[in-house]
Amino acid sequence: MKKLVELKNISKEFDGELVLDNINLDIMDKEFVTLLGPSGCGKTTTLRIIGGFVTPDEGDVIFDGERINDLPPYKRQVNTVFQKYALFPHLNVFENVAFGLRLKKLPEKEINERVMNMLKTVALSGFERKNVTLLSGGQQQRVAIARALINEPRVLLLDEPLGALDLKLRKDMQNELKNIQKQTGITFIYVTHDQEEALSMSDIVVVMADGKIQQIGTPTDIYNEPVNAFVADFIGESNIVDGVMLEDKRVRFSGHTFDCLDGGFGKNEPVDVVVRPEDVDVVSEDKGMLKGVVTAITFKGVHYEIIVDIGGFKWMIQSTDYVDIDAKIGLYIEPDAIHIMKKSEYSGQFGDYSSFSEEFDELDVVPDEDGEEDADE
Amino acid sequence: MNKKSLMRSLPVIPNLVWGIIFIVLPLVFVLYYAFTDFDGNFTFANIIGLSDYAQTFLLSVSMSVIATVICVLVAYPMAYFISKAGPQKGKILLFLVLIPMWINLLIRTYSMMAILDDEGFLNSILTALHMGTVRIVGTKGAVIFGIVYDFFPYMVLPIYTVMSKLDKSLIEASSDLGCSKIQTLFRVILPLTKSGIISGVTMVFVPSISTFYISQKLGGGTFDLIGDTIERQFSNPTTYNIGAAISLVMMVLILLSLFIMNKFAGDDTDEAKGGMMP
Repeated sequence: MKKLVELKNISKEFDGELVLDNINLDIMDKEFVTLLGPSGCGKTTTLRIIGGFVTPDEGDVIFDGERINDLPPYKRQVNTVFQKYALFPHLNVFENVAFGLRLKKLPEKEINERVMNMLKTVALSGFERKNVTLLSGGQQQRVAIARALINEPRVLLLDEPLGALDLKLRKDMQNELKNIQKQTGITFIYVTHDQEEALSMSDIVVVMADGKIQQIGTPTDIYNEPVNAFVADFIGESNIVDGVMLEDKRVRFSGHTFDCLDGGFGKNEPVDVVVRPEDVDVVSEDKGMLKGVVTAITFKGVHYEIIVDIGGFKWMIQSTDYVDIDAKIGLYIEPDAIHIMKKSEYSGQFGDYSSFSEEFDELDVVPDEDGEEDADE
Repeated sequence: MNKKSLMRSLPVIPNLVWGIIFIVLPLVFVLYYAFTDFDGNFTFANIIGLSDYAQTFLLSVSMSVIATVICVLVAYPMAYFISKAGPQKGKILLFLVLIPMWINLLIRTYSMMAILDDEGFLNSILTALHMGTVRIVGTKGAVIFGIVYDFFPYMVLPIYTVMSKLDKSLIEASSDLGCSKIQTLFRVILPLTKSGIISGVTMVFVPSISTFYISQKLGGGTFDLIGDTIERQFSNPTTYNIGAAISLVMMVLILLSLFIMNKFAGDDTDEAKGGMMP
């Protein structure tokens, strides 16, 4: 596979605030790449730089081997699906989709054929003459995708395209988008704050925070081998505790020494240890490697979510077995369930569930409707 | 059972009374006078006699059309830049455009005279510079200029209002899909701000077609516009009927032109464009 888009040492400031801090990213042809991160992490700005709506202060944007920093959006082989669709209200569905083709002055017959085919692809046949402002959110979404795809761009940029849809529709559209990407072979660059969406759709996930790229990898890599506490916390649920690497494959945390699979750290190097809630087995107190008191238990359908106090640090555990509150239980952790990370600026900020509540989690992932957008002006 | 509906219709009554006294009754009077002679007998003579004023009608219409077109051409880019200037600067710029509206029309027109008159401010500067004098007051150009100057804010305001509500992502989308800046203007911005132009045109064209003060002062009394003619008819009790007839015809003409304009402008806003498909 060849490199299609390269970002080299990209930095961008808005009103004295560093939004992107030395971003380096290669995007391969025909890949589905997702930029994932919380509000204000710079993911939308990165997308807008590729689209041509924002010019970086420093660094180069390379497209298919050529520097395109100063190329205006209309000359780029890139199309965008905007966050709020940005459909033209004065045009009907057909004309919205035909917009790009009309600019190319194609013959009427060809425009007609291609628009009709594209509308079929996005399951909107029969909607040609409908007023776009009267369509549902999901339908507007499809028009926006059709309008961008019909120009056969090399790269399609999608800025939180499913953010405004309800859960069910979102799942359907995720599958559909993935299928469209496979069928057309167009490179997709997708921005989202929804880690589940990122993991289920992407070939490559780029995790961003504070204007920096934290990690680039396949969804399984990102989930199983997070590079630091931020990534571990942002992707899925994680217990992140302080530990000491005694030697290769031996780590000590929470008062117990564990076997693990990781190595390559210094002797007695302080590290962050990640244990996913689903990888912990609940056993009787005497058989446990760690011992703790259950402080909360919530039924989640597939499993129970159990909060366990181990020496003052609250762990989250997912188990199909019910335990009583205040019960003393033991925890058993397999070596391959332990993931060791180097200490980072994010150490100690994440991974303790003492202040955990569903609401907190929700607050974290409120879509950045305006925050980031405004910053881009 | 009618008590409830009576209560509900009570608040409408003031509006109704207002409408009857200030809208319906005057219209009835205009109609009455237009179709009667001085003694109150029914006649078409007033309307038929209007052919004498055909020249004046034509002159009025053409001058206000020219003034309205100038207003659109100047106000549209201005409204665009004000809306682009950002909230803080935009407010100040808009304020500057609107200030003249707070000054009485007579005073504005008089000050225009003071500036443009043969012995006015402009000419005294030109004389001082040994560049001779220009005759401005008394020409049709001066009247058009006066109309533009007096009604300009009414054009900027509605266009600005629509322009400032324009979703910026639409302009980005247009650029993204391949439009250059000029193409974006004609394919996206203009169609989406047409409603502002239409209200602006209505607010400038309608009052300017019947203006009389500007033409009297800046025209220097050398020619009549329809507004002047109407005014003259009503200052003499024996010609009320002719004045009413002119007013009536004017009203019909304005209604007709607004209707045509709305029809013409509304054409491609709806689904009519889909018509190009089989």
